[in-house]
Amino acid sequence: MSIVTVQLGQCGNQIGFEVFDVLFSDSYCSQGLCSKKENEAYQASCKERFFSEEENGVLAARAVLVDMEPKVINQTLSKAAQSGRWKYGQHACFCQKQGSGNNWAYGYSVHGPRHEESIMNLIQKQVEKCDSLSGFFIIMSMAGGTGSGLGAFVTQNLQDQYPNSLKMNQIIWPYGTGEVIVQNYNSILTLSHLYRSSDALLVHENDAIHKICVKRMNIKQISFSNINQVLAHQLGSIFQPTYSAEGSFHCRRNPLGDLMEDLVPHPEFKMLGVRNIPQMSENSLAYSTFTWAGLLKHLRQMLISNAKMEEGINWQVRPPLSGLPALGKMSFNKELHFNTSIANLVILRGKDAQSADLAGFKDPALYTSWLEPDNAFNVWKTQRAFNKYEKSAALVSNSQFLVKPLDVIVGKAWNMFASKAYIHQYTKFGIEEEDFLDSFTLLEQVITSYYNL
Amino acid sequence: MGRRRRWVGQVAGTRAGALPEAIAALSRTLSAGPSPETFRRAKFDFPEAAPPLWRLLFYVLSPLSEDDIAASLTPEARVRLVKSAMRAQGYPRLAFSRLPEDGSQGSRELLLALSWLLARGPLLERLLARTRVRLGDEMPVCECEDLPCGRASPGPPTLCKDTEGCVDVRHVQWLMGKLRFRWRNLICSHQAQCALLSKIHEYTLGCHSDQSLNHLSAAETELLRDPEGGQQLLQMLEFENMRLEAALEWRRLEQVFWQWMDTVLGACPPDFPHAGSQSTFLPSIPDPGAGELDLVARELQALQVELREAVEVRRAAWEAQVRGLRPERSAEMRALKEAVGRELATLQQAWEREGGPVRPHRPHRLVRSEAGALPGQGLWAAEAIGALRNKEACLEAVLCWLQGQCQQELARLAGALPGVIWIPPHGR
Repeated sequence: MSIVTVQLGQCGNQIGFEVFDVLFSDSYCSQGLCSKKENEAYQASCKERFFSEEENGVLAARAVLVDMEPKVINQTLSKAAQSGRWKYGQHACFCQKQGSGNNWAYGYSVHGPRHEESIMNLIQKQVEKCDSLSGFFIIMSMAGGTGSGLGAFVTQNLQDQYPNSLKMNQIIWPYGTGEVIVQNYNSILTLSHLYRSSDALLVHENDAIHKICVKRMNIKQISFSNINQVLAHQLGSIFQPTYSAEGSFHCRRNPLGDLMEDLVPHPEFKMLGVRNIPQMSENSLAYSTFTWAGLLKHLRQMLISNAKMEEGINWQVRPPLSGLPALGKMSFNKELHFNTSIANLVILRGKDAQSADLAGFKDPALYTSWLEPDNAFNVWKTQRAFNKYEKSAALVSNSQFLVKPLDVIVGKAWNMFASKAYIHQYTKFGIEEEDFLDSFTLLEQVITSYYNL
Repeated sequence: MGRRRRWVGQVAGTRAGALPEAIAALSRTLSAGPSPETFRRAKFDFPEAAPPLWRLLFYVLSPLSEDDIAASLTPEARVRLVKSAMRAQGYPRLAFSRLPEDGSQGSRELLLALSWLLARGPLLERLLARTRVRLGDEMPVCECEDLPCGRASPGPPTLCKDTEGCVDVRHVQWLMGKLRFRWRNLICSHQAQCALLSKIHEYTLGCHSDQSLNHLSAAETELLRDPEGGQQLLQMLEFENMRLEAALEWRRLEQVFWQWMDTVLGACPPDFPHAGSQSTFLPSIPDPGAGELDLVARELQALQVELREAVEVRRAAWEAQVRGLRPERSAEMRALKEAVGRELATLQQAWEREGGPVRPHRPHRLVRSEAGALPGQGLWAAEAIGALRNKEACLEAVLCWLQGQCQQELARLAGALPGVIWIPPHGR
């Protein structure tokens, strides 16, 4: 089944390009370390999911590019064309001359309604190219104007027009140090609107990825392109084909649907985070070997101690002993040490993945009391190596990992709101104080729900 | 069964050996039925006849083909499923529901249950239809035929959880969400299937030897792609022919079977259906349309009674207490009357639609054709869609009503807890 990607704003378009590039280069990479037949099935599955074949045989990404300024879209298009391997469809872009000036309300209430028809028509065209549509993957930032405001608007429209298709929003959490003064306002508006219209929010924190670039990739001067490549690697490791079942060599038909069924059935818990292991520069990769036991031990500790990468893990954190109340359940204001999960999905790619032992993730102490590990833990596997890593594991987790940053953002936004700072910038375009209050209520509820796991 | 028995009474002097033949025909019709010897043993309640008969009943009652789920179920689960399916169909014998769950005993009861199913409805026809070789692309126009069977078999029964221990509502919400995703997944798959069928039909336009069909179905196209499959298809058709012949044979001989069943019934101790604390069974009505009508009628009646009572109480209260405020009250009264009128009208419409023209029930072969190209036979997609829309509207009306009831109940509960603020759930 196919997924239509919607790239919104500067951030969405830059990331979208890297994602398609990773998907393509991994599919056609010669170092898959598996049989020819298996490799062909892998390629075919990836192609059906993310690319359509044009008449001349060139693959075109199943994507729609939307931005209010032409610069980034033009760059993205030409980068794809230069790759010479895949491209974007001819009529897949929508851009305008004037941006949203980091004002969420402008993206949501002005650009959205004004260009609704054109954007939805482009999406419709991509949908018609799919024999079977699984859903939408919407890439956008959380704190800006166009990506976040227009992104929320488009997601809502998708929900109205394609209620049965799945919607996953990939959102980029802003740097804690802040790029934009109103980023907290924009963030709470984005999150609260997406919580109403999207099925899952896959969150990447700029801070975390930045650290991975510094510590693991050994990059001295980090550009957005570096960050986006790490991010694209993580996304690719989720969505590239895996076996449909234990012992089967067929590819999973509908990974988006399966992922959502595994992780986000509960309407109050929709926030997903991704962790990957190993992550390192290509140079170091050549001199490293890994065992599944070692990788999974680290990955598990990254999960329960809420570490973003395999470096600097706090090994002191232990699951609460059964019979005693979990730390996370104790007090509201107490610092969260142990990261309680609702549900986890581990994806293993590479040599001997079949034989890896995942018992460590099936410990009931890792999960909330109202879900059994049988219900809360799933694993997908493939022997096919991903993106030149002989062995790699990805963990998609619905857990408390974002509750603290969310709490901080909501708190900062509330303080600004209480002194009515910058509110007129929003009311000017039709986002009223009432809308802010609704957003606060909804997110407070989400925070409470996650704290009380 | 009374009807059958009267027929049997008229048949006299059947030749010896007819009974085993009749049972053998029945077994062949059921494709995997046990031997006549098993039936004979079951008459005397021998335990060795029980396991094959449990298997047979499971096959007869499960909504899916046997291979799909039988493998994943333990014998105990199968026994439970058979029992609950029989209960849902309204089978009244207490002795049957008390059979041990290990499936080791009660062959006579099982024989009686099977005969009850046979005597009661078009069981064989349904089973034969279920395993029919399908060459054309088919579309069920109306799911109501599947309903009794679906109701009877709610899937593998889960182990009964201790209802005393509290269930976290979040767990229920989680399961509900899973169900929603699966439902959406199903709809997407269905749409994908329709799109692909349409492609096949367009590409193969003019290929079919049958003028009225004009294009190939998916199965026929597959045969072209893979000629090896033809052999397999031939085998399947031969097998189906055999079963159909067996069914005819059974029709010819079944009276002997019913005669024999009388002796089986005579041999078993009487059952007291009302003894003990067994809950009453809901008799299922073979025609689901009538069942739904009945339901609507009951709901209408209950609603009328409820409304009448409410109106009377209010009227009495008003007249007694607030004579000075008449104009205001009368407006309220009018509004109330209008609301009642509207609701009645909706229900009456639903009723009328239910009793409307007879809708097509059988599955139909999907054929693409130009407007007017087909003679009068068959069913147009527009008609089918119309019928389904009607059904959808009815179901939606019922859903709305039920949701209203739930909301009222929730509001009542919330009102009873003064310290609690009620925030409706977001999303979905």
